[in-house]
Amino acid sequence: MKFTPTLKFNGGRLRPLEATDRDALFVVYQQPELPGQRPLEQPEQLDRMIELSVQMAATQRGMMWAIELGDDNSGYQLLGMASAYDWQPSLLKVALRIDGLPRLTMADRAAALTACINFMAEKYHLRSVAYAWIQGQSDAIPAMLESIGFQRSVVMRDGWRLGQDDYCDQTLYHHILPATTAEVRL
Amino acid sequence: MNWNLQAGPFVIRLPVIDQDGDALYGLLKDPDASAHIPKPPMYASVQSLDELRRASMKFKSREGACWLVECHSGDVDALAELLARVTLDSINWMLNSARLQWEVSPSVEVDELETIIGAIEAFCFNELGLHRLEVALLPGSTRHEAFLDQLGYQYEGCLPAQLEFDEQWRDLNLYARLATDAMVEAPTPL
Repeated sequence: MKFTPTLKFNGGRLRPLEATDRDALFVVYQQPELPGQRPLEQPEQLDRMIELSVQMAATQRGMMWAIELGDDNSGYQLLGMASAYDWQPSLLKVALRIDGLPRLTMADRAAALTACINFMAEKYHLRSVAYAWIQGQSDAIPAMLESIGFQRSVVMRDGWRLGQDDYCDQTLYHHILPATTAEVRL
Repeated sequence: MNWNLQAGPFVIRLPVIDQDGDALYGLLKDPDASAHIPKPPMYASVQSLDELRRASMKFKSREGACWLVECHSGDVDALAELLARVTLDSINWMLNSARLQWEVSPSVEVDELETIIGAIEAFCFNELGLHRLEVALLPGSTRHEAFLDQLGYQYEGCLPAQLEFDEQWRDLNLYARLATDAMVEAPTPL
């Protein structure tokens, strides 16, 4: 049973991770976006993550998608990954994150995030979507988040760890979706 | 590692599941003890026993801990009464951070809570090696905002729509204190 659907957006698509994505994802993680994160050394390190993506979606702990640009006629190229984590289905909360190569523009990221949010809001009635921006990440990310409805809520001092005793701030952005009334079926 | 602490007249200790259920119920049945955090009311001691069992499971899996606070002043009646429960939750060993929460008897004064929390903070920073302690409060919790101010916590912002409680979506105000904010002295182990 597939828990992670393929989602189309303008200029590309999000699709579930597959074992054959390992090498393309390895290229993505040669340019890690998060401060303090080191490039992966072996493509095999991603095998476990791809397996885990299925387990996490099945148990509603998280969801991962490959982000591909292209179309059905000319084909698609994997340029990044979207992740839903810290998912708390009973509290209707989730956090999202995008990792991508420089070719994945802020417009592409905004479109991919919007597709994720729309899917999760409709399927799981989510109320609160968070995105963490780490000090040192691209300054264009906050503007991209605000362009699709996120608002800055908290600056967590030393909320991100860079090394043994080295920390930097983490800024949380939240996108609050309209509350839905639970449907009761007898 | 000794998780039981002493700070002045206060004994700050891990709970004993089979023995502390009634005393914890005695503390938590007063809604004022936990009015600053979103929490359903406590109607029976079986609820406090259940909370102790869950806390024990979190402690075993290194996800959290909770301490019960008593005052050993020589008064026999006071010995049986819990003054506070302090919970360390959501420990993230990668980021060296955790969330702190307390439920206190309305009789506890600011300087007394400062002594109790100060000892627990020192344990968290010095013994556990944590770097960041967070506290999340319901907006408008004036008494506990004053506690946090006195304890040196800094307001970091408001987490919107964190949970639905009493048919209302609740925001939580986030405060934090870092190990580097000030030197924290190690507590006296029991």
